[in-house]
Amino acid sequence: MSGRAFRLERVSRRFGEVEVLRELSLDIACGEFVAVVGPSGCGKTTLLNLLSGHDRSSSGSIAREGRERMVYQQDGLFPWQTVRENIALGLRDLKDPAERARQLSDLIELIRLEGFENHYPHQLSGGMRQRVELARALAGNSETLLMDEPFSALDYLARIRMRHELARILHHRPRTVVLVTHDIEEAAQLADRVVVLTERPAQIRCELAIHQPRPRGLTDPEVVRATDRLLVELGIDGDASRQTSTNYKE
Amino acid sequence: MSQRRLNVRSILLPVAVFAAALALWDGVSRAGFFDKSALPAPAAVILAFGQEIRSGRMFNDLVTSLFRVTVGFLIAVLLGIPLGLWMGQKLAARTAFLPLLNFLRNLSPLAWMPFAILWFGVGDASAIFLICLSAFFPVVLATMAAVANIPAVYFRVAETYGLRGFEKLVQVTIPAIMPQLITMLRVSAGLCWLVVVAAEMIAGRDGLGFAVMDSRNGLRMDLLVAEMVVIGVIGVVLDRVLERLSRIPSVRWGYER
Amino acid sequence: MFRSSATRWILGTAIFVTGITLLRYRPWHPPTREAVATEGVVRDSLTVGFLPVTCHLTCPVTDFATRHSANTRFDSQRFTDFPTIVESMKGGRLEASFMIAPLAMKLREQGMPVKILYLGHRDGSTVMVRKDLPARDLRDLRGKTLAVPSKYSNQYLVIHKLMDDQGVKPDEIRFVELPPPDMPGALAAKAIDAYFVGEPFAAKAELDGSGRVLYYAKDIWPHFISCVLVAHEKLIRERPSVVRDLVRGIAESGEWAETHRLGAAKVAAPYFRQDEALVRFVLTQPPDRVSYRMLTPTDEDLGQIRDMGIKAGILERRIDIRDLVDRSFIPTDIKAANIDAQ
Repeated sequence: MSGRAFRLERVSRRFGEVEVLRELSLDIACGEFVAVVGPSGCGKTTLLNLLSGHDRSSSGSIAREGRERMVYQQDGLFPWQTVRENIALGLRDLKDPAERARQLSDLIELIRLEGFENHYPHQLSGGMRQRVELARALAGNSETLLMDEPFSALDYLARIRMRHELARILHHRPRTVVLVTHDIEEAAQLADRVVVLTERPAQIRCELAIHQPRPRGLTDPEVVRATDRLLVELGIDGDASRQTSTNYKE
Repeated sequence: MSQRRLNVRSILLPVAVFAAALALWDGVSRAGFFDKSALPAPAAVILAFGQEIRSGRMFNDLVTSLFRVTVGFLIAVLLGIPLGLWMGQKLAARTAFLPLLNFLRNLSPLAWMPFAILWFGVGDASAIFLICLSAFFPVVLATMAAVANIPAVYFRVAETYGLRGFEKLVQVTIPAIMPQLITMLRVSAGLCWLVVVAAEMIAGRDGLGFAVMDSRNGLRMDLLVAEMVVIGVIGVVLDRVLERLSRIPSVRWGYER
Repeated sequence: MFRSSATRWILGTAIFVTGITLLRYRPWHPPTREAVATEGVVRDSLTVGFLPVTCHLTCPVTDFATRHSANTRFDSQRFTDFPTIVESMKGGRLEASFMIAPLAMKLREQGMPVKILYLGHRDGSTVMVRKDLPARDLRDLRGKTLAVPSKYSNQYLVIHKLMDDQGVKPDEIRFVELPPPDMPGALAAKAIDAYFVGEPFAAKAELDGSGRVLYYAKDIWPHFISCVLVAHEKLIRERPSVVRDLVRGIAESGEWAETHRLGAAKVAAPYFRQDEALVRFVLTQPPDRVSYRMLTPTDEDLGQIRDMGIKAGILERRIDIRDLVDRSFIPTDIKAANIDAQ
């Protein structure tokens, strides 16, 4: 996997009078895990919609490569379909039924939901539902996952568990990931690169690369450091002693 | 174990209430607060019921009313759901037709009775017309509202995974509104049953509604009550049957969240 | 899962619809109503509308009498109210019916080509008062409530004539409109003080013991007319022989009912779906409560009803009675119909 998954050049998006994104330029490499954080309402979801093609930019250009799949915060699964049927949606392009069945059971095994194939989403816990969503998005030949606060509806422990799951699953099925989140721990724990947006109209305030390989623990020094840094960038107090030594404006 | 006890209870309690109501009725009629012709005794009603069963009239009236309701309701559903689906998806259609539909919905189907007789005569056709009318507008409006309220995320997912046209309709739009659709079917079937009895009171020569009116004209309160009992029981059965629709596994989500 | 459930439901619905339709129309039963005569000759048949009141007794009796007749078969169709009869006639689905005389005039006035062919009966209406009221005439009913079936009914017109005769002003009695079946109950509950209606709804209160007779119609207006036999001109034009058979059938049924009152009660009660004892009471207590003779309408009778109707404001113009009546079908010799009521 090499090359570029996305290239945004001076992309702006306005809704009437309201300017949400301003002249945003960003490159995302294939296989890269990019997290986007920023103050709430700053336009993270708008950015994701532009990447997925659900929305058009007002100006600037967006180049994308490969097939994207969106993973939603919650309820992106069809509640009237079973786990198996929902995941099979991602395998619609496979014509060979035997091959489809094989991939289906692989995916179910991957998300560790054997025995739940015929359950409906409302019969699963939030974490299980997210895993099904993930499996559906991974199914077939998708190359990019666009994740819109995928774990925000889960409780704290389930969220931490899902981070590990995501890291594990991505290890088996590498993908380019753009993760929009307001959870900076999540960003620090998962991403190769964290993009911090400013208040609306959103611009890139700074980018932060994290080199430690996944999976990372919540308390790994690099994760803690990155979390601290992100807190400061977002204008929320980090450790007071470090506050002075940190360059606010980069 | 406790599950079973619950089930026994859920049967025993309503039966007890029914028995108590029956005993109260019997007591009141025996006590003679009302004239015999103003409140027939349960025994007289049972007698009248037996008489109607033996003469075959009860069965004939029942079949007639059920036939009219079934046909009228099915026509309303088969016309109303597609129209509702179309209107739910097209904002322009909604804007254009909604005021008219709302206007028509507010007219009691019974107000159409004279026209039903003028256009369709007395009998099945006019009763079916009235039933169809009473269910059609609620069906259209409920379907339309349900479609318009489908969360956009489902359509996004459908688009992402390449569901288009007919596939989208069958795999996304219709399943997404099924729970509301089923509730709406139950409500409008009940409405139809109410209307058939009312419609037959004037427009007909058979059917349960006609039998009610006829017993009234014939000053036979015992028959009247027997027919009321049948009407009530059928209404309950009808709802129970349609309630089973909501047990289809793929619609349970609409009732358990 | 959804698909298999859907299949089951669609299949179930289809089976139910088919089943109920078959039960409704019973295609395995040859239609008994489109009667085929014994020799296999298809007879003429005509549907005639009526209400379950003793005024219309001759209609089901004629139906009964022509069940096996070689000529026209008359199928009496019971209705529950006059508006439905009128709407059915306007819709062209009913060509002959019994109805109250002022209603026939109203139809004619509105331009519907109907003719009065014959009368249904004479007398047959009764003014009932509460048993506990000492009233002896209408003057005693001043300030009381009196129920009539409708403002368009003859009863309403006739009671006004009697009030006029007795010097009671129109607003001195409070009139309410009630469906006839509800009148006996309303009287028993003392919701009304008196009512004027066609039988058997008056006799019911008498039988129940909650009311007593104040006037028989014959006391107010001898040979009182309430209901008439009406036919559409189209029917008269296209099937005059059927109309002739009908009028003769009514006349002979009437003659038979006049002389076989117990038999008439027995024949009519199932058609009316009423208690035979009640119908028998109406026809026999006293026997002249209702009469089925002298059924030829005179211009004078009808003219009087029309004028009263105009006075009461239910009719608007003086229609020509000669346009309204067609007496050409009335037979000259009326023998009692040959009916075996057993």
